[in-house]
Amino acid sequence: MIEIKNLTKKFGSYCAVDNLSLLVKSGEIFGFLGPNGAGKTTTIKMIAGIMSPTSGNIIVDGVDVSKSAIEAKKKIAYIPDEPFVYPNLTAREFLRFIGDIYDIPSKEQDEAISFYLSRFDLLDKADQLLGSFSHGMKQKVLIASVLMRKPKVILFDEPTVGLDPRSVKNFKDLISTQTKAGVSIFMCTHILEMAEKICDKVGIIYNGKMISCGPIDKLRKESGNNGSLEDIFLELTS
Amino acid sequence: MKVFFLFKRKIISLFNSLSKISGWKALKNIIFLSAGLVLMSGLFFSFLRVLKYLRGVELIGEILIWKLTAMVFLMSFSMIMISSVVISMTTLYYSFDLGFLFSSPIDPKHIFIDKCVDTVFYSSWTLLAAMIPYVLALMKTLGLGWIFFAGYIAAVFPFISLAAIFGIALSLVTMYFFPSSRTRDATWIIGSLSVAFIYVAFRMAKPEHLLRPDSLEIVARYVNYLQAPTAPYLPSWWLTKTMTTLSAGKLEFFGWLSLLYLVFFTFYFILYKTSGKFYPSGVSGAQNIARFKGPITRSWEQNLATKFPSLRHFLFLFGRERKIFLREVKHWSQIILIIALVFVYIFSVKNLPLDTADMKSFICFLNIGAAGFVVSAIALRFLFTSISLEGKSFWIIKSMPLGMNEIFYVKLIFYGVPTMILSLILTGFSDYLLGADYFISFISIFSITIMSLTISVLGLSFGAIYPDFNVENIHQVESSYGGFIFMAFAMGYTAISVAILAGPVQMHFISRFNPIYVFEKKWLYISLLAFVIISFIISGLICKTALKKAEKYEI
Ligand SMILES: Nc1ncnc2c1ncn2[C@@H]1O[C@H](COP(=O)(O)OP(=O)(O)O)[C@@H](O)[C@H]1O
Ligand SMILES: [Mg+2]
Repeated sequence: MIEIKNLTKKFGSYCAVDNLSLLVKSGEIFGFLGPNGAGKTTTIKMIAGIMSPTSGNIIVDGVDVSKSAIEAKKKIAYIPDEPFVYPNLTAREFLRFIGDIYDIPSKEQDEAISFYLSRFDLLDKADQLLGSFSHGMKQKVLIASVLMRKPKVILFDEPTVGLDPRSVKNFKDLISTQTKAGVSIFMCTHILEMAEKICDKVGIIYNGKMISCGPIDKLRKESGNNGSLEDIFLELTS
Repeated sequence: MKVFFLFKRKIISLFNSLSKISGWKALKNIIFLSAGLVLMSGLFFSFLRVLKYLRGVELIGEILIWKLTAMVFLMSFSMIMISSVVISMTTLYYSFDLGFLFSSPIDPKHIFIDKCVDTVFYSSWTLLAAMIPYVLALMKTLGLGWIFFAGYIAAVFPFISLAAIFGIALSLVTMYFFPSSRTRDATWIIGSLSVAFIYVAFRMAKPEHLLRPDSLEIVARYVNYLQAPTAPYLPSWWLTKTMTTLSAGKLEFFGWLSLLYLVFFTFYFILYKTSGKFYPSGVSGAQNIARFKGPITRSWEQNLATKFPSLRHFLFLFGRERKIFLREVKHWSQIILIIALVFVYIFSVKNLPLDTADMKSFICFLNIGAAGFVVSAIALRFLFTSISLEGKSFWIIKSMPLGMNEIFYVKLIFYGVPTMILSLILTGFSDYLLGADYFISFISIFSITIMSLTISVLGLSFGAIYPDFNVENIHQVESSYGGFIFMAFAMGYTAISVAILAGPVQMHFISRFNPIYVFEKKWLYISLLAFVIISFIISGLICKTALKKAEKYEI
């Protein structure tokens, strides 16, 4: 569960996120939509605890992110928009490092590593350096690292940029298994069609402000537009 | 010719960056520039002393001077040759603009020539700068005019280009036949090994003895040796001949100068022609990332962590640091150079012309300051940069349930312990070789232990206070504002430490000279205590500030 109350982030005098509040229940997939520069990445970084809010609260699974950062980070998994990893570690070494830090027993680690890497067609590359991986391959390794941890909350910043269609399908299947286990998923995306298909709820952010939030049906009613999510989005952000 | 557009772009970007300099950058440039000028005038006066001394030697004074000059040119030639091996790999195959250049309709041969200019410049500018004071000292000693200097400038251009051709041709050929990024790594290692080797070999050859006729018993043989050409088939000898004939006002000068230019044009013409075939395929081959087969078994840190669960975060982070560090070739070439430095350092200490035992013990005490400087430089390279080098991957650590203090501990142990060992080698060997007495040995070993620890903490902390996660290379981090502050701070701390310890050391020497003088142990303890307390307070305060700052990083 993610609970955000009156979240504000200022860079100097520029307000990147302005008094944002929202709730993502456990087992829910929340789609966070908005044009470039709207404040999506800033919001997600604050939830992940790698940026601190100017004001407001973020509570993840009952833990306040600013007050007990380490406790909260145990529950959160985050994948940034650019998959920067350690170029001098192999995929297996990287995944083991993640598994070790999050106290996953080594036997479980090895099972999860072979499961997810074969799922993403990377098993034969498991012992090669991440520096030789493409953008999409690194992203798959990061997705594997997140899923093997069994977190309470997963934050994805543009998760499917760089993935091939088959991996996108895989990704969707994998996250729907996660939600069944009660994981909340918070996902920024540009791909409205994907948001329409898999998100239980969407929020549209524009210039740092949430201009609309709720199930897609509710958004349709509010905007008086019965078209696709794309139509609603274009109308609200024009 | 398109090649001129390529040069024009260089000049434009140079002017752009010059006009944009302001604030810290301007200050930094002024500081580096003045440090460079101080160094160059220092070199000038030492060269002048040596040359004046040689000139004073009866009969053979001038021959000696030209012999030394030939040796200086030969040294420079081999140094440029070796650095061109390391540098040409980067400029020819790993410049950031290669992708752009090769995608535009430019003849690869022209790109090649453009990159050759870069190679010649980057592999020779430091030596060129160091040779200017030598030439000026030569002019002053022999009373030569500015025509001589102009002649030198004209002759040195083909000289450095010919020295760099070695590396360029080597890179061209090896990358063509072994197209892989591992070829670059291998040449880097071999290059730094050779630099280290030349450096040590030159020092071991005791060049100061070569200048003393008494080391060769028969004078005639000595004169013969002096008059024989030094490596006559190398451009360094042709440059020497150009300079001697010019200084004597002989027309032969034009002959030697033409020889330099003729060979220069011939070689570059051949390279230019062959580069059409070799260069493009080398550039594409250089992008092949070497296949690396990582281990399937778990590392020793991971196995150890099952035995000591309370240390597990430390061990896991240590393993990460170790693998990331050791798999980076640029660190290895640096380590090789440091090992050479240590050898030369100890060798120089051993050969200091000191007569009395007291003098030797005293030098051992001053050695603490010198070792403190070396430790600071090493902490700048390895500890100060270690936070910034996390770079764009820093989010991984930052989003993990870890405190920054855990990361600090790991980095401190991983880089600080080798630094401490190195500092102990520097002081321990010096004490041993100079036969320092027990008291001085104790003081120097004790203080360098505390100092290297403090300087390591300072390096790491200042690196965390002034991080730059968007760095492109290590050098950029080292020469940043924070790096400068750290060096100033570390030097100040070293000076204060030496000053505090000077008290008891002085009393120790007085009591050795004067048996009636009573050495009051009280002052020794007070000084040591003050030194330890100051060290701990400084490192504690700075480290605390750094941790606070690091917890708040926004990336
Ligand atoms: N570290 C920063 N410093 C200053 N401004 C920033 C910083 N990070 C983001 N911004 C600004 O905040 C706004 C929102 O950025 P971001 O959250 O990255 O947008 P997006 O919705 O595209 O992910 C942008 O105008 C951006 O320029
Ligand atoms: Mg973004």
